[in-house]
Amino acid sequence: MSVHVSTLQARITGESTASSPLSTEEYFVNMGPQHPSTHGVLRLVLRLDGETVREVVPVLGYIHRGIEKMGEHGNYRQFVHLVDRMDYLSALANNWAVTMVVEKAAKMETNDRIQAIRTLVCELQRIQSHQLWWGVFGMDLGGFTPFFYGLRDREQICDIFEKTIGARLTMNYIQPGGVMFDIHPDFVKDVKAFLTYFKSKMPEYDALMTENVIIQERLRGIGKLSAERAIALGATGPVLRASGVAHDLRKSEPYGLYSQVDFDVPVGTVGDCWDRYWVRMEEMRQSVRIVEQLIDNIPEGKTFLVKPAAKIKVPAGVHYSHVETARGVLGVLLVSNGKDAPYRIHCRTPNFNNLWCIGEMATGGRIGDLVAMLSSIDIVVPDIDR
Amino acid sequence: MPADSVLPPAESVATPEVLPPPEKHVGVGGAILGAVPWIDKTGAVGGVFRAIRSLFGGMKITGGYLMRPSTVVTQQYPENRETLKLPDRFRAQLAFNHDENGYHKCTLCRICEEACPNVSIIITGREKPAVSKKELDSFVWRLDSCTFCNTCVIVCPFNVLRFDGTFESSVYDRRLLSYTLNQYAGPVASVLEKMEDPEARKAAMEARDPYSGAAIIAALIEKQKATKIAERAAREAAKASRVAAKAAAAAAAAAAQPEPPPEAEDVG
Ligand code: SF4
Ligand code: SF4
Repeated sequence: MSVHVSTLQARITGESTASSPLSTEEYFVNMGPQHPSTHGVLRLVLRLDGETVREVVPVLGYIHRGIEKMGEHGNYRQFVHLVDRMDYLSALANNWAVTMVVEKAAKMETNDRIQAIRTLVCELQRIQSHQLWWGVFGMDLGGFTPFFYGLRDREQICDIFEKTIGARLTMNYIQPGGVMFDIHPDFVKDVKAFLTYFKSKMPEYDALMTENVIIQERLRGIGKLSAERAIALGATGPVLRASGVAHDLRKSEPYGLYSQVDFDVPVGTVGDCWDRYWVRMEEMRQSVRIVEQLIDNIPEGKTFLVKPAAKIKVPAGVHYSHVETARGVLGVLLVSNGKDAPYRIHCRTPNFNNLWCIGEMATGGRIGDLVAMLSSIDIVVPDIDR
Repeated sequence: MPADSVLPPAESVATPEVLPPPEKHVGVGGAILGAVPWIDKTGAVGGVFRAIRSLFGGMKITGGYLMRPSTVVTQQYPENRETLKLPDRFRAQLAFNHDENGYHKCTLCRICEEACPNVSIIITGREKPAVSKKELDSFVWRLDSCTFCNTCVIVCPFNVLRFDGTFESSVYDRRLLSYTLNQYAGPVASVLEKMEDPEARKAAMEARDPYSGAAIIAALIEKQKATKIAERAAREAAKASRVAAKAAAAAAAAAAQPEPPPEAEDVG
């Protein structure tokens, strides 16, 4: 296996690869870092031959905050709230990833109630994240209406979170040793009301976008990513599954209560934008299924098993845990020297790897399709840079 | 790289009841066009019509909402300020729990200050406590650096802190984002309750408002600066005295020896 490394400068000044029978010239276009459809401060340098994309070079670093470094300066509980700010649409799953590695390494106990609550809120957040993606995807394709409907329904989940957790985006809810609060007395009622509501809205989503022939024709066959390349690039989550690889940590290494619930893993066949769209739509339905199975069966018990102010000491060594967020595998590698603060902490974030698939997808395609491809990856830029 | 070498073996993916995407879609609405019998439903022209038909399917949804104003979810903020109520747990502004007499229970244990990940809590005690051993002077909370992680609330052993939903906290000057949370400087509730004389109680409680107290942030910064200057002065004084001592030692050595070694001259 060989790895080819070249700088952006070398690529820009390098030889032209224009291959049109007309006498054309290559040119470079910066997409971002302030482009509305890059969903944040992401810069893509595009090498274009007319309308054809020859190369996409993502340039990162515009929102780097040094979260991993900051983690070394606080204790474990203080690190949890920082990961909220990586992939903010999966804040709870991020909390869980850190919590899981700390709990596993420090041999902290949990109970079924804690695990049930964690599973429930994470699935609700997956729905919420996909709803937002659906709205934004519609907007990126030129339709503004889906955005309103997606956000309207997402608001319902945010309201549930506001009641139980007290925050809408940066939750810091799942803590080593439990969850920060017990669920709100209205939680079960609200979630059931939401499920009823959302199930009546899914057909609307379908009528608006899924069944729209124009959308289908627009998405089919563009941005193809083969299973081999998806694996080689380290893609995870819906991007990997849309390429036909049924890899979902909730199935393959069940954590929380995922082993006790029944759900399917949707996979695509060709790995184009349509498959990624379809996989996420189906994942929302599967998440609804998971929530339905759990909502009436939350066991009794305590929700915080340690003293919140107690120091957590992790035995010296290297520890690793990973969870499936709405965008893929978030792994947390923790190097401990036995003290109550991490020696080094590293996050393997899903968006970073998923982003590099854009080169594979877009090369040879049209620039007009690039926005659709980027949107179908569903990137959250702060998660790429951390 | 073959796919199998990276992925977990197929058995470990429990029940991969894989759902493939639908090959053909079935459109819904748009009955008008669908009813026209002479349109070839499979050809290119049919494709255009199918597209238009599915567009109507979507537009039916949008139109439906137009007909049902009751489904509108938009909130008219700030007109609805009176009725807008945020949930109890909503984290908007850190607040002190004062009991019905206006007493607080903060014992200055500083657990919250230590637990805060970004030094948003700065607690100062009174320099000369009037009644008990330790008395709170000001509990300063910096909204501008707080990340609303709620850690301080859960770690406080005396349940002094809470978050409330007063979310309209924008100001024009950043310095106004440092609040003194305690309403009075003085001893804790249990000490105050033991005091018989209401006058003495009153005297022990010095009133505080959000922007008063010994430790409002400008004063803190001044204090930090003063400490730094004092430290630097101390360091420099120590250095000067070291140099002086060295010079004195060299001079003494020079005086003791008729032929001074060449290094001693450098020192001088
Ligand atoms: S608020 Fe609570 S934790 Fe903080 S110093 Fe006071 S008593 Fe201690
Ligand atoms: S909420 Fe978090 S950041 Fe804010 S003051 Fe409390 S501990 Fe500090």
